[in-house]
Amino acid sequence: MRIRLAAAAALALTVTACTPSTSSPSAAPSDGGARTGTLKVWLFDEPNRAPKEAVVKDAVAEFTAAHPDTKVDVAYLAVDTRSERFKGAFNDPASAPDVVEYGNTDLPEYAAAGGLADLGPAVGAWPEGADLSPDAKASATYQGTLLGVPWYLGVRALYYRTDVFAELGLKPPTSQAELTTAARAIRARKPELFGIAVGGKYTFGALPFVWDAGGDITSINSAQSRAGLKAYTDLLKPDNCPPQQCADLTGGKTVELFASGKAGMAIIGNFNRAAVDAGAAKGKYAVVPLPGGKPGSIAPAFAGGNNLGIMKNSQRPALAADFLTLLASKKYQSKMYAAMGNLPTLKAARAEVAGQDPFLAPFLSTIDAGTKFVPLDPGWGKIDAQAVLPTMIEKVATGKATVEAATDEAAKAISAALGK
Amino acid sequence: MRLTRRLLDTLAVLLAVATVFPIYWMVLAAVKPPGEIQSLHQRPWTLAPSIDSFHRVLAVDSFGRYFLNSLLVALVVVVLSGLCAFLAAVALTRFRFRMRTTVLVLFLVAQMVPIEALTIPLFFLVRDLGAQVPGLGLNTLGSLMLVHTAFTLPFAIWMLRGFVAAIPEELDEAAQLDGAGRFTVLCRILFPLVAPGLAATSVFSFITAWNDFLFARTFIISATDRQTLPMALLVFFKPDENDWGAIMAASTLMTVPVLIFFLLVRRRLVAGLGGAVKD
Amino acid sequence: MTTALPAVRARPRRRVWTPLWLLLPAAVVLGTLFGYPMWQLGLLSVLDFRQAQVSGGQPTRFVGLANYAQLFGDSRFWSVLGATVFFAAACVVATLAVGAGLAVLLTRISRVPRLLLSLAAMAAWAVPAVSGSTVWMFLFDTNLGLVNQTIGATGFNWMYGRYTAFALVGAVVVWHSFPFVMVTLYAGIEAIPRSTLEAAAIDGASTWRTFWQIMVPMLRPLLAIVVIQSIIWDFKVFTQIYVMTRGGGIAGQNLTLNVWAYQQAFAASEYGLGAAIGVVMMVILLAVTLLYLRTLRRSGEPL
Repeated sequence: MRIRLAAAAALALTVTACTPSTSSPSAAPSDGGARTGTLKVWLFDEPNRAPKEAVVKDAVAEFTAAHPDTKVDVAYLAVDTRSERFKGAFNDPASAPDVVEYGNTDLPEYAAAGGLADLGPAVGAWPEGADLSPDAKASATYQGTLLGVPWYLGVRALYYRTDVFAELGLKPPTSQAELTTAARAIRARKPELFGIAVGGKYTFGALPFVWDAGGDITSINSAQSRAGLKAYTDLLKPDNCPPQQCADLTGGKTVELFASGKAGMAIIGNFNRAAVDAGAAKGKYAVVPLPGGKPGSIAPAFAGGNNLGIMKNSQRPALAADFLTLLASKKYQSKMYAAMGNLPTLKAARAEVAGQDPFLAPFLSTIDAGTKFVPLDPGWGKIDAQAVLPTMIEKVATGKATVEAATDEAAKAISAALGK
Repeated sequence: MRLTRRLLDTLAVLLAVATVFPIYWMVLAAVKPPGEIQSLHQRPWTLAPSIDSFHRVLAVDSFGRYFLNSLLVALVVVVLSGLCAFLAAVALTRFRFRMRTTVLVLFLVAQMVPIEALTIPLFFLVRDLGAQVPGLGLNTLGSLMLVHTAFTLPFAIWMLRGFVAAIPEELDEAAQLDGAGRFTVLCRILFPLVAPGLAATSVFSFITAWNDFLFARTFIISATDRQTLPMALLVFFKPDENDWGAIMAASTLMTVPVLIFFLLVRRRLVAGLGGAVKD
Repeated sequence: MTTALPAVRARPRRRVWTPLWLLLPAAVVLGTLFGYPMWQLGLLSVLDFRQAQVSGGQPTRFVGLANYAQLFGDSRFWSVLGATVFFAAACVVATLAVGAGLAVLLTRISRVPRLLLSLAAMAAWAVPAVSGSTVWMFLFDTNLGLVNQTIGATGFNWMYGRYTAFALVGAVVVWHSFPFVMVTLYAGIEAIPRSTLEAAAIDGASTWRTFWQIMVPMLRPLLAIVVIQSIIWDFKVFTQIYVMTRGGGIAGQNLTLNVWAYQQAFAASEYGLGAAIGVVMMVILLAVTLLYLRTLRRSGEPL
């Protein structure tokens, strides 16, 4: 008897539980929501958060002064937890914030999950919105809809050791050929150094070579892409950076190697300045833009960065838009540069900081020369997670596959992921 | 005999040093200036120690709060898990019933599931549970306590089962003949005798709950004052920009309480049974 | 451990403490938190379920065994599975050997060395996996690591060769796992009646024989748990591989099943496929465990 009851209960439970739980998207208020109350903001935490927090506090103070009866509740998330947090916010509207800071490569994933609000009208009505560079705007647009305001950028350029160059009589390279020659010269005359530290897992170090040759991620097995890839993997040779030591280096490791004095050159970002200054290379380096194939050209860099956006299920979209445009204004972008060293996205702000710090010059020229981005497709997350591009580079570098075979394999994986 | 003992003592100390060396390295990296952590001349010491990294870690907003949250969750899990497991272990050894083996195996199967696969179903379960029971929903510490109790139970049950089974039933009967009720038998006879096993499972439960990264960031979404210690560690991981000194400092701060907990239960763990068990 | 019950004798009827009452708390907790999600897991594995479906943007679609077909049809899956099985087996054997050996050692040394060794092992167990893996990665770094610099092998990349990489990661896994084995077995050994061990010593048995012929049989139930637990954990190992081989090693040569599942499914929010992999992992572990339990049962250990 008891067993029968239990079985019946189990069956009933089974029937009701036949569909997995989902959440239902809630509608945003059409009038823009309340103009008072608490605005919830999610920003990324930093290892040294105090400067950022100070700038944000200023913005909050200015905002609440201009908007009576409002409060701004800022929470800082660890970058590493953003995936779970954002999914949690999409799935549980009660926990969701209004304004968010998010990485620009995460945009397609969030957009496909239907989590971000359309910012077209808000940015259109924003005077400073016109100052956003088209590249930056493109990286925040998904299928024609603007889903974020680029807040700051980070790009990479070529750091080189001035003392080593002086000792060997080398000049900063202005073309890829010169780069390769200089690297080989350094390694030949100083075998304890790498000419230029490059790594098999360093996607954003390799992509500029591919882009400069006219190739792209979506057509990674075209002739131009292959030429670009070969230019990069030619640096993963015993005469520069032997595969045994370099095939599995990440970008972060190349920073460490340059900072500790093991490399003559490296492709490092403006955001790594502090790390390099903390190491043995301090005071002995300078930066130039990463040269392209043609003499005097600059290889297109990857424009990584963070955007500010509004959650689709926010109940105060108008208020959120006001705070967002305040935080993304030239005034606060310049303040953020002073605090964190982040490159502003507004052209006027960039001009202002350029005047203040000559260190930025090569990075700003790199941005002005035109930056590139990863495919704006939710499938990019899969490509990144599966390490399709690093595997391709490593296979060529270690000799496990030819350039043709590796790029064909990568192309298959990429089109499979992007197709969905 | 004494020579063998001395040799074994030395061997044990050497093994201890070898085992603890990576920990020492971690603490060392936490006090080294940044340039020395990644350097071409690694030294097992530093001439310029600084507690800067610890400052950065402790400056993480509400670090003390995270610490207390972690502690609370871990201790509650230890108690709940131990209690439920003890009762279940008694049920599974002192009684014979038809589904006994099935139940045991089911408990085991529960541990085989890779947890990442369960995060979405558990997320919705906790969310719906929170609608019914306020303390157990998303953004609460209760959800973490519940989940970790569940995940440490199977092992604890299996472990304590062995210990309870090792206690001869004659002891129960002798006590009952002396007039003790079942509850007294449970508390006064069985419980103390499984103490070493309970100590082992306590340490296991504590570590599982304390070092959890996955559920802490899946269930605690917006309530930053309910976050646990691993979240403080994760702050310092930024792709291509990791703050190694702070990571090592935070790791050190995370390791110490577990060692303290271990020292507290050690005596129980080590306590032999003396003459309690007759053969 | 007593294996035989005394002869059946009449027992007074117990009305209050039936086994079900005692089991209730555990059953409730586990039933809710395991039963329901595991059911959902099986359900998800036959659906096309991704983040879009979760947030309600798109409807869920029943796809039958398509997820499984995709999984089994991927040659990568089989090679990763093979690597995982070998790696897990090696780790389990090594962990057991080290843990059991040290547990016996603990019983034979003086108080202070015992405290030191236990503390050292506890520290290894207490360190979060991500931190421990990172430190070992630092120590064995190609150019900037202490080990290479000390033995003069700067430039030797431990992660370059498939087997050296697995060996190093295996060492870290053993380092993280042996304390659990050591503590558990030590608790078990301490529970062995002293008189039994003394009798053996009087009879002149060496440590080795005492271990194999007296301790192991008495520890068998505990050993069973420890072995099964180790098999389950080492099969599912994630953090050490992910951190030390930076996501699977050169061209994915060091991928284990859980890391591969993460890359293929969870990182891309493909929960349907991820659930299928989860189910497959569970079934494999279940098969291995049942096999092991049956071997135990044959050798006389009652369950």
